[in-house]
Amino acid sequence: MKERIPVEVDGLELELSNLDKVFYPQTGFTKAEVVDYYTRVSPVMLPHLAGRAVTLKRYPDGVNGEFFFEKECPAFHPDWVETTTVPSRNERGKVTSCVVENLATLVWLANLATLEFHTQLSRKAGEDRPDSLVFDLDPGPPADTLDAAWAALRLKEALADEGLECFPKTSGGKGMHVLVPLNTPLDFKRTKSFAHTMAQELEKTYPDRVTSVMRKELRKGKIFIDWSQNDPHKTTVCAYSLRAGTRPFVSAPVRWEELEEAQRRADAGALAFEAWEVLARVEDAGDLLDPVLKLKQSL
Amino acid sequence: MPRVIWNGSISFGLVNIPVRMFVAVRDHDVRFHLLHARDGVRVHQKLFCPADGEELDHEDTVRGYETSPDTYVVVHQDELDALAPKASRNIEILDFVDIAEIDPVYYQHPYYLLPEERSAGPYALLVQALEDSGRVGIGKLVMRNKEYLAALRPVDGVICLETMRFADEVMPTGEMEKFELDREPTKRELSMAMQLIDTLSSSFDPEKYHDEYREAVMELIESKAEGQEVTMPEAFVEPGKVVDLMSALEESLARAREKKERAG
Repeated sequence: MKERIPVEVDGLELELSNLDKVFYPQTGFTKAEVVDYYTRVSPVMLPHLAGRAVTLKRYPDGVNGEFFFEKECPAFHPDWVETTTVPSRNERGKVTSCVVENLATLVWLANLATLEFHTQLSRKAGEDRPDSLVFDLDPGPPADTLDAAWAALRLKEALADEGLECFPKTSGGKGMHVLVPLNTPLDFKRTKSFAHTMAQELEKTYPDRVTSVMRKELRKGKIFIDWSQNDPHKTTVCAYSLRAGTRPFVSAPVRWEELEEAQRRADAGALAFEAWEVLARVEDAGDLLDPVLKLKQSL
Repeated sequence: MPRVIWNGSISFGLVNIPVRMFVAVRDHDVRFHLLHARDGVRVHQKLFCPADGEELDHEDTVRGYETSPDTYVVVHQDELDALAPKASRNIEILDFVDIAEIDPVYYQHPYYLLPEERSAGPYALLVQALEDSGRVGIGKLVMRNKEYLAALRPVDGVICLETMRFADEVMPTGEMEKFELDREPTKRELSMAMQLIDTLSSSFDPEKYHDEYREAVMELIESKAEGQEVTMPEAFVEPGKVVDLMSALEESLARAREKKERAG
């Protein structure tokens, strides 16, 4: 029997359902725990979601079940859920996406089994104005998280040579994301070509360990620096989003020192954070990625 | 209006009737495309050689016929072209046979033949002659480099051309597994079966039957396309009192914790 519990969140009403359903069978992490995690992490996560069109990755039957990759905001959304129309490559040429402006929206989407929130890089939906630049460092087996951390550190050095500060987060899987705050007038054409050049340069310096080419066969044992996500049509998993892996790992902001430390101790596990660890870290240090929203840098 | 897929003529004896061919059936199977699960992009297929991983174009390939495991005879396109049946735009009727003699298992794919403007008269004559005689014309035609056996039969005043399977393509029932029969059915059993058939007898009404699976799949797709969340119908509990978020979660969180502790 389906249990529905009407709740009030900041004066807005919605219903929660199936709270006992297990979403991560390996650890027994339930839907209630998903909703609870997003509620608790919302003070640091909402600023990264605000204004942006989100793509939802929903897992109604948990991480092992069928999933839905939805750019479209579900049509039955409560009227207090903000939406925005963004250009799309579908037949209609556009799609109406959800914008997560408040806790109620985040909870409502979590209750729809949204485990992953993917966001666009422009803060105002549909605008050609990325407010940050992202590198997605993806290890091709047998390369792993430590190799990705190594590449992230090299990328940080290369960016420092360009006078740019950058900030890392885990992908929540085996990879690392490196974010470069911009918050200045730049368009995707510029950020994408810059990211591409940086990736190629790193590939030139470390040809045995790094590639800037997507082709699977070239990625074996190397870190693929994906520069192509700096695109108005693409989304990247949002900071603090859960990932639909075996355990409730999070795409978690980290410190550069933690990458170095993990390297030194050859401890990949030190760079994997589950929901409860992320909550403890936020309590301790707040939002490590706060500068990404504020620091002004130009290319 | 359906598209003309072939032009030619029906000939028998000295009569020649120019016709156009149309498809007679529509395939309504729901067709899905394969998308990349992560970003929803439609995926492409690549040809590649497993020996060295090299990606290939179609021009890099030849046709091989497997004569025994891993042994191929290569046949080139020009060799096939030389064997192709002589292009012909003629459906030559060789025989007229009683329609009841043709087992439906021989019918393969139906098309409609319609007369060209100036051949309406002879066409109508052929239709009526087929109807009155209860016979169908059997002939051969060449379409897309392939030779077909075909039956021409009247359907609602139009000629329906059914491509037919050749005799060696149809498996004789004699090749099927034999089944044991310990005794013949009795007269009484047979008359009871006949009675049952009598009471269930009706005329064939194709409108009565629908592809319910396809309809359900299309309904699912349409509601998803409208952005509705699709869930299986479940019993619905009357909503209770509105509570705040944390107290709603607490109970369920406690249950989840307890379960984990028990699990160790």
